[in-house]
Amino acid sequence: MTTTTPPAQHDSLPTVRQGTEDSRSHRQKRWLQILFLAPTVIGLALFTVVPIVASLLLAFFRWDVIGDPEFVGLDNFASLGSDPTLRVAFTNTVLFVVIAVVLQLAVALALAVMVMSKMPNWLRSFLRSALFFPLVLSASSVSIVMAYLFNQDFGLVNKVLNGIGVESVPWLTSDWAAPIVVVLVYVWQNFGFSFLLFLGGLAAIPRDVYEAAAIDGATGWRRFRQITLPLLSPTTLVASVMAIIAALQIFDQPYVLTRGGPGDSTRTVVMVIYENAFQQLNFGRASALGIVLTLVIMAVTAVQFRLSRRFVFYS
Amino acid sequence: MSDFPRRAVLGGSGLAVATALTAGWPRLTGRDIPGRGKDELKVALLGSAQDAAARQKLVAAFSRLHPDIPVRVQAIQGADWSDFFAKILTLVAAGTPPDVVMVATEGTQLFASRLAEPLDRFVKRDDVEMKDFFDDVHPALIESFMYEGSLYQLPVDFNAANMYMNLNTLRSAGLERPAEDWTNEDFVRMLRGLRKSGKGGQVPFYWNNRLWGGVVPWLYANDTSFLTEEKAPGGDWLWSRYYADAKSGQERGGGYRWRGSNATDPKVTEVYEFLRRIVAEGLGSSPSQGGGNQLVGQFASGKIGFTPAGGYWVQGLHEAKMPGSAFDVQFFPRWRTQRHQFGAAGYAMMKTSQRKDQAWEWIKFCASREGLRLSIPTPNTTPVRRSMVNEALYRGTGPAHWKVFYDTLDKFPTTGPIPAPPQQAAVETALIKNTLGAVTGPAKGVEPALRRLDADLDRALRSTT
Repeated sequence: MTTTTPPAQHDSLPTVRQGTEDSRSHRQKRWLQILFLAPTVIGLALFTVVPIVASLLLAFFRWDVIGDPEFVGLDNFASLGSDPTLRVAFTNTVLFVVIAVVLQLAVALALAVMVMSKMPNWLRSFLRSALFFPLVLSASSVSIVMAYLFNQDFGLVNKVLNGIGVESVPWLTSDWAAPIVVVLVYVWQNFGFSFLLFLGGLAAIPRDVYEAAAIDGATGWRRFRQITLPLLSPTTLVASVMAIIAALQIFDQPYVLTRGGPGDSTRTVVMVIYENAFQQLNFGRASALGIVLTLVIMAVTAVQFRLSRRFVFYS
Repeated sequence: MSDFPRRAVLGGSGLAVATALTAGWPRLTGRDIPGRGKDELKVALLGSAQDAAARQKLVAAFSRLHPDIPVRVQAIQGADWSDFFAKILTLVAAGTPPDVVMVATEGTQLFASRLAEPLDRFVKRDDVEMKDFFDDVHPALIESFMYEGSLYQLPVDFNAANMYMNLNTLRSAGLERPAEDWTNEDFVRMLRGLRKSGKGGQVPFYWNNRLWGGVVPWLYANDTSFLTEEKAPGGDWLWSRYYADAKSGQERGGGYRWRGSNATDPKVTEVYEFLRRIVAEGLGSSPSQGGGNQLVGQFASGKIGFTPAGGYWVQGLHEAKMPGSAFDVQFFPRWRTQRHQFGAAGYAMMKTSQRKDQAWEWIKFCASREGLRLSIPTPNTTPVRRSMVNEALYRGTGPAHWKVFYDTLDKFPTTGPIPAPPQQAAVETALIKNTLGAVTGPAKGVEPALRRLDADLDRALRSTT
């Protein structure tokens, strides 16, 4: 009888105390985690989740800010199909995304490769800052300055063209040139982000792979095509996903430069959302269109990730 | 690290966060926004913080007169009036609407139909002061602020679309300042003269594609508009009381009604074809988006011959160092009529305001002689009081024929406001987007463009009530 309990009891007591301390410490940690996360979570809830939910609800109502919302079911969504302006805006947006994103990635990659090539450190630092700089400027300010530069009669661009014997181009008032200006201004201002991503991606490619390829006699172009591009494919995927998501939401540049014109040639989907909300005071329809655009962005991103399985090489 | 135990670090961090939150609480909650939560009369206007600051003399003078009414001027920045109205609507939706809002003709009917309080009872109550005001103000300006028989704003300033001309440019082409009754064909002849003599880079006629000063003055001159125009019944209470003796006060109504598209009117086609020819011949610019202010520098440097602008341009040209003797102004060219287009601005009282009597005092003061003198110290716009558009205002800035600004109303009493129904923003978008295609393409493109305009206007006018 006397041999049974003491060792076991003796052993068990510290175990229980240890467990209690662990649990208390764990609880404290959890509270700390909650405390530190709280500002972000509250901010997200207030400024992201609540507007999303409100927008989802609003899409089923007709609301002009001033009066009470009126439930209209799916009418707001149904009316989108019969809007000719929206059809044009959607086509414009798709075309814009394709051209702007390809240009943006190509320019960003070319400049990133250039900056990573042999050059003095001071020049590299300068180029890195200078090329990234347009991204930190406000899109509206940039567009206002660009509107002056591309003015048909007094703009610097036409002055330069006139100087080399080319006639003035109606950059912002012809339906073929205005979309080009919008794309150029957008790409100039936004390639900096992709450029930064590519710089990081290029820096992560091991030098020894290039050295091995050089020993095998691979030329510069071949090294770029068969080493740089494949090893950069994860970065390219991220850059293209981000670029497409941003480009699908283009608003500032065409709004300030051309107000969607001439005609509807530079009108984009987000501009139609703005017009529905703040010009026609139909916030329900604007919300419905916002939801549709979100679904399109999600679908495009999903397709990109699906396709990435074939094209992205993770070393 | 041993000197700083974990608890001390955490405690310190907590204290730092608490201190930061306490110090930043007014910012986080928006309590540091001037006027937020205070019992003040909130006056919203389109402009920058500098514009609000520029009105401090006005506020100070008002406070001397009404020490019991504290006023806070809220400047709200926007690219144009549509942008400003959108922001006011956002304030309304947020539950923090101002008491008084500066509204231009573009927004009068939007505000009158939804947001603004009619001023009729206040006007009738302060009959004597109002008589002094109306005696000095052209009835066209008053009528433009009436909606369905009620008055919603007292105008403080206006600008009619007159024609500015660069005298140096004209002289070098051997041209004289045109006569008052010059026609659209005289205008084209002068443009051709300027083009012939002009150096490279000179634009005989520069115009912008917008509601004010774009295609509309030409439409008015040709006795038409892109929207149908009617007068609402009512308003007799005002016309019979204050304008009974004035010839120009007769045949006034209860405000304008723009309910349908008039884009397929042959006279509209005629105007677009006229402008298309001007652009095609290289006599006029291909009108781009934007306001007139960006042109001041170009005009002052002699690169523009003619441009439509109002009295607001005088101060801009003065600041661009253009002497008053180097430019002048004339009425818009005559076509079927010489009716002009104007836009005015004035304060509207919000229906939601809890300080309506105080708001009225502010509105009344701003329309008084003292209020106008303080808010318009330079000719950066045209005061609505005839007696204040005088030699003193234009001394040192010009132009020689500054009388044109007010004579536009007196000599052409049918001169009317910008067509701006409650759906103005959508209407303006439709006009701007179709105008460019019509005036920059081939002649056969004019009618299809106007049919598109017609369809867009129909949709815009149906889009909201």
